[in-house]
Amino acid sequence: MRKLWKKYDNFHFHIGLILTSIIMILAITGIFYTPYETTEMNIAAKFARPSLQHLMGCDNYGRDIFSRVMEGIRNTFFIALITVSIGTVVGVLIGAATGYFGGLLDEILMRINDALFAFPSILLALVIISILGTGTINVTLALGIAFIPSFARIVRSEYKKQMSQDYIQSARLMGAGDARIIFVHILPNILPVLVSSVMIGFNNAVLAEAGLSYLGIGVQPPEASLGRMLSEAQSYLFTAPWYSLFPGLVIVVMVLGFALIAEGLSQKK
Amino acid sequence: MKYYLKKIVSMLLTLLVVSFLVFAAFEIIPGDPALAKLGAEATEVRLAQMREQMGLNRPFLVRYGSWVLDCLKGNFGNSYSYNQSVRSMIADKIPITITMTIMATILTIGISIPAGVSTAKHAGSRYDKGSYVVNQFVMAIPSFFLGILMTFVFGLILHWFTPGGYISYKKDFRGFLGYMILPSVAIAIPKCAMSIKLLRSAILTEADKDYVRTAYSRGNSTTQVLYGHVLKNALIPLVTFWGMAVADMVAGSIVVEQVFNIPGLGRILLTSISNRDYPVVEAIILLVAVVVIVMNLLVDFLYRKIDHRIDREE
Repeated sequence: MRKLWKKYDNFHFHIGLILTSIIMILAITGIFYTPYETTEMNIAAKFARPSLQHLMGCDNYGRDIFSRVMEGIRNTFFIALITVSIGTVVGVLIGAATGYFGGLLDEILMRINDALFAFPSILLALVIISILGTGTINVTLALGIAFIPSFARIVRSEYKKQMSQDYIQSARLMGAGDARIIFVHILPNILPVLVSSVMIGFNNAVLAEAGLSYLGIGVQPPEASLGRMLSEAQSYLFTAPWYSLFPGLVIVVMVLGFALIAEGLSQKK
Repeated sequence: MKYYLKKIVSMLLTLLVVSFLVFAAFEIIPGDPALAKLGAEATEVRLAQMREQMGLNRPFLVRYGSWVLDCLKGNFGNSYSYNQSVRSMIADKIPITITMTIMATILTIGISIPAGVSTAKHAGSRYDKGSYVVNQFVMAIPSFFLGILMTFVFGLILHWFTPGGYISYKKDFRGFLGYMILPSVAIAIPKCAMSIKLLRSAILTEADKDYVRTAYSRGNSTTQVLYGHVLKNALIPLVTFWGMAVADMVAGSIVVEQVFNIPGLGRILLTSISNRDYPVVEAIILLVAVVVIVMNLLVDFLYRKIDHRIDREE
């Protein structure tokens, strides 16, 4: 940690790391402990204002918003993590295969990829959800699939660029097989590009998940999710503005933190 | 000419692949459209008749072919849940989405060009740094949260508009445009922030080039050089971004429609997804994809108009 802090000694990286750490701590603590039960209703505390007992106030059922936000962060965080993992792993496999081998396979897969690329990712996720049905697992899967085309495209163009380099020729002369060249020789060279697109992808996944659960398609109640809380809070915007404000701000902090880290990594000093 | 033809042919090919993927995706869903239409208590004979009538017994490729031909004629079939044609369900919603996207696009371009140029002009100043911070922050706000914040500020505190009081464009077009301003702003602002950042860095890379020095030496002012010479070249990467942004904004409008309670394509898409009304979903998805693909083609053409280096490559 300290080494990272020193290595990327710039303002963006530091602020980003702090914001992301706060979110991560909340997400991980949320697995074991929340100040209140997330589904515990307390009519006496209905629409309680933010106070020391209820840091972010209470919602229309008197549930503690801070506890629910913690659970929401955890859900959003893990959905985004799995989504990006699916997108990256499959994207790298497809991108590497098409970029490395070229030929007919490349032609066909990239045609399909271009066609899928025509759909904005949230729309593609909606199509897949309409086929699979709603629910947390299906949404994660749908978002994961929706993120594959963009990763495949980036990885493919990086592989294409690397193919003309001399080191590939020499690796071949040394008798390395295709798989070895793809994963051991080329992959480390495209890592910087991959890392920054994973960062951006993670943010897009957070935003897409929040959007989908705002539409009522993602995480199903009584599980808390940030997007869903926002859509429920909207009806009480006048009586309890904090109910909308806190889940929304948490999304902003989450996305901002990662964006700043990505920015900081690119400005290496 | 050859360039345009090549691009158009490749676009048609992409369209064909997209339509095939959409059709195939809804074919693999388990479930029988005839059963969905008649309900669970339908008799076996009646079901068989219905399948024959709906043409479900024909081979896959034949059905795909006739579906594509129907779509080209503007006939998207009938809704499963409502006894009306898909076309009549979505036709009067399309103008809403289009208006919102056009307004958002105009806002994005209209705000980001002057703002991008001025931040680049004052690069390194306090103003530049301040706008950088604002930009980073704005980029992290999801557009639906921005919409909620704007509803709170402009609707509930300032009373500039009635939240949820959508005005149909058929009744009162000016009122409709007025109501669409805030949703469009909500979609446009994150894209604005992105474009300002892109434009600023594009201008700064251009600023070191020889032609800029020449333009200065001929006695042009900074503003003249920036708008008259640099901007044209700096816009090249922006055009690509805007092309993609429009596609995103069409998709983003689905979510923002819900915030402002607008009965547009988004609402129909969502109810159709939960009702498993596949012909409607199919039609909307296909329409959006066509819009995006045509947008990409236009961007390619525009690209060639402003960047003459592409000519030489052929």
